[in-house]
Amino acid sequence: MENYYLGVDVGSVSTNLVLIDDENNILCKKYLRTQGKPIEILKEGLKELKEEIGDVNILGAGSTGSGRYLADLIIGADIVKNEITSHAISSLNFIPDVQTIIEIGGQDSKIIIIRDGIVVDFAMNTVCAAGTGSFLDRQAYRLGIPIEDFGRMALKSNNPVRIAGRCAVFAESDMIHKQQLGHNQEDIVWGLCQALVRNYLNNVGKGKDIKGPVMFQGGVAANMGIKRAFESQLGLEVFIPEYFDVMGAVGVAMLARNEVKKKKFSNFKGLEIADVDYKVRGIECNGCANACEIVEICGDNKILARYGDKCGKWSNIKNENTKLA
Amino acid sequence: MCKIGIPRGMLFYDYYPLWAEFFEELGAKVVVSPKSNKEILNSGVLSCVDECCLPVKVFHGHVDYLKDKVDYIFIPKIISIRKMEYCCPKILGLPDMVKFSIEDLPPIIDTNINLRKNSYTSSKYKKAVYEAGKCVIKNSSKIRNAYKKAEESYQRYLYLLSKGVIPIEAIKMYNKTFVDLNYNSKKHDMSIMVVGHPYNIYDEYLNMNIISKLINKGIKVMTPEMVNKDEIIYYSAQLPKRMFWTYGRRIVGSAFSLIERDEVDGIIYLSSFGCGIDSILIDLIERKAKNKGIPFTLLTLDEQTGEAGIDTRVEAFIDMMKWRDKDDFNISTLR
Repeated sequence: MENYYLGVDVGSVSTNLVLIDDENNILCKKYLRTQGKPIEILKEGLKELKEEIGDVNILGAGSTGSGRYLADLIIGADIVKNEITSHAISSLNFIPDVQTIIEIGGQDSKIIIIRDGIVVDFAMNTVCAAGTGSFLDRQAYRLGIPIEDFGRMALKSNNPVRIAGRCAVFAESDMIHKQQLGHNQEDIVWGLCQALVRNYLNNVGKGKDIKGPVMFQGGVAANMGIKRAFESQLGLEVFIPEYFDVMGAVGVAMLARNEVKKKKFSNFKGLEIADVDYKVRGIECNGCANACEIVEICGDNKILARYGDKCGKWSNIKNENTKLA
Repeated sequence: MCKIGIPRGMLFYDYYPLWAEFFEELGAKVVVSPKSNKEILNSGVLSCVDECCLPVKVFHGHVDYLKDKVDYIFIPKIISIRKMEYCCPKILGLPDMVKFSIEDLPPIIDTNINLRKNSYTSSKYKKAVYEAGKCVIKNSSKIRNAYKKAEESYQRYLYLLSKGVIPIEAIKMYNKTFVDLNYNSKKHDMSIMVVGHPYNIYDEYLNMNIISKLINKGIKVMTPEMVNKDEIIYYSAQLPKRMFWTYGRRIVGSAFSLIERDEVDGIIYLSSFGCGIDSILIDLIERKAKNKGIPFTLLTLDEQTGEAGIDTRVEAFIDMMKWRDKDDFNISTLR
């Protein structure tokens, strides 16, 4: 039987799972919408995985994404790694001489600068969501266009409308004004793609030395309009890897494989965890003025973890008998 | 006994030992607000004007906490503390902002300190010290003596900082006897400079404990307060134009000094959203760091309390530094 490694990327918008083998071939991938229910969706993903591939040997697992610690609790990861490193690892595997990675996800966007196979600089968006996927999602909704058709529509335009991309709120009002002036929809959509790219390059990519080969990944890479906008603004060809939407998960699966080979055992709990009944409870602790928001995760009535407190009052207790509040 | 409240915010981390010892020496009881917490943040955000930066809002929360518990609140109006330099406009206007934003305040001791054209030995400064002390006791010789004692405590505090003690710790121990501190020689894999305004880098609630997080990862943390004064003056003078903000000069000078002398492996800039001074300082430091091939990252603080964002950035930053370290030879081809 072949050996496989599981990579899990729990992001704000999507939860991705992949299985890779020793040669980095991807056996199967799952791209699911997180919908604010990371645990349920993760379980669903594992269940689908199990149904699809049947009984295989999974030797190790890794988790990444903003929900990586949560995912670790559920699956028992061998390695928990941040998104930047995971993305860099997987991109380097697909294009070894990649120099720039553009990653645009739902809530955050990143730029990773690589030279000679090493991450030398990176940046993530700050407190603003204007250069991210949710910006496009929102505007597509506003225009009444399914996000899946967005890119194709943008490609039809020859005459983009300039839309302010600095702030999602201003962009929306600017877009409405342009609509009311009678511009056609293709041009507005193409203008939005350009606005996102402009904002990304001015905000996240500010002062970064962007050199080719450039790789573009993350959920937004499905949008051909954005790819076209990047290519026209950078003057460089932009590559989109085959598994652009699960690159983070692939990277962490690769890291998990290395880790397991090094330590010779795995913490992975097996795909059976899809059947475990997880419950999450949250309370606001009233022990002090911090009023921390405590989260408790139970699996089959056993407390797996508590976190969210600043003082350790809750996270240190693992005793089942101590109930929350 | 007269109770003087000192809010734990803004210039607290610079001057607490001086202020506290001064009032205690005069016979007053000093009450300090607790460490920033959710309640303080919420009350600060509610009372402060909307467009302010986060530390000023939090400061309002600290004042709000103290207002029913003390006879006076000490919020000096520090306009300038060095010749030809100014403090940030928000610090200049701090007592006035507080007075008009929070109701039912006890009297505020808003001593004017303006040394733009004077020195610490000038009669103007002595008068300011008297102004601050007279609420407790109207006796100029006692005030003079109290200030002298306070100054000694303050020097001990500065000594601790110069030895690499983080202000949060130094505030606890400046009055105790200390023999050998050698904080700088502790074992560590790499050193990171956490740079920014003191009220951002030392408020553990606002920055979600970034300093302890780094220390727990075996990293030596350097901050601007640990850099020698003369070094700061020397390196900040390299700028083509004079930096006329006192804190700006300290931040840029200390960062330049550590970069030029090759004492840091990476720089994390902590900035509060909307800070005007930071917008310039960040760029100056980032360019210098890039020139010398030192990794730099910026963390913007606002009201967010989810730690995932900061953790991801810090982890990725450390990963990057380690990765670069491992392949040391490759870096030279880079820039």
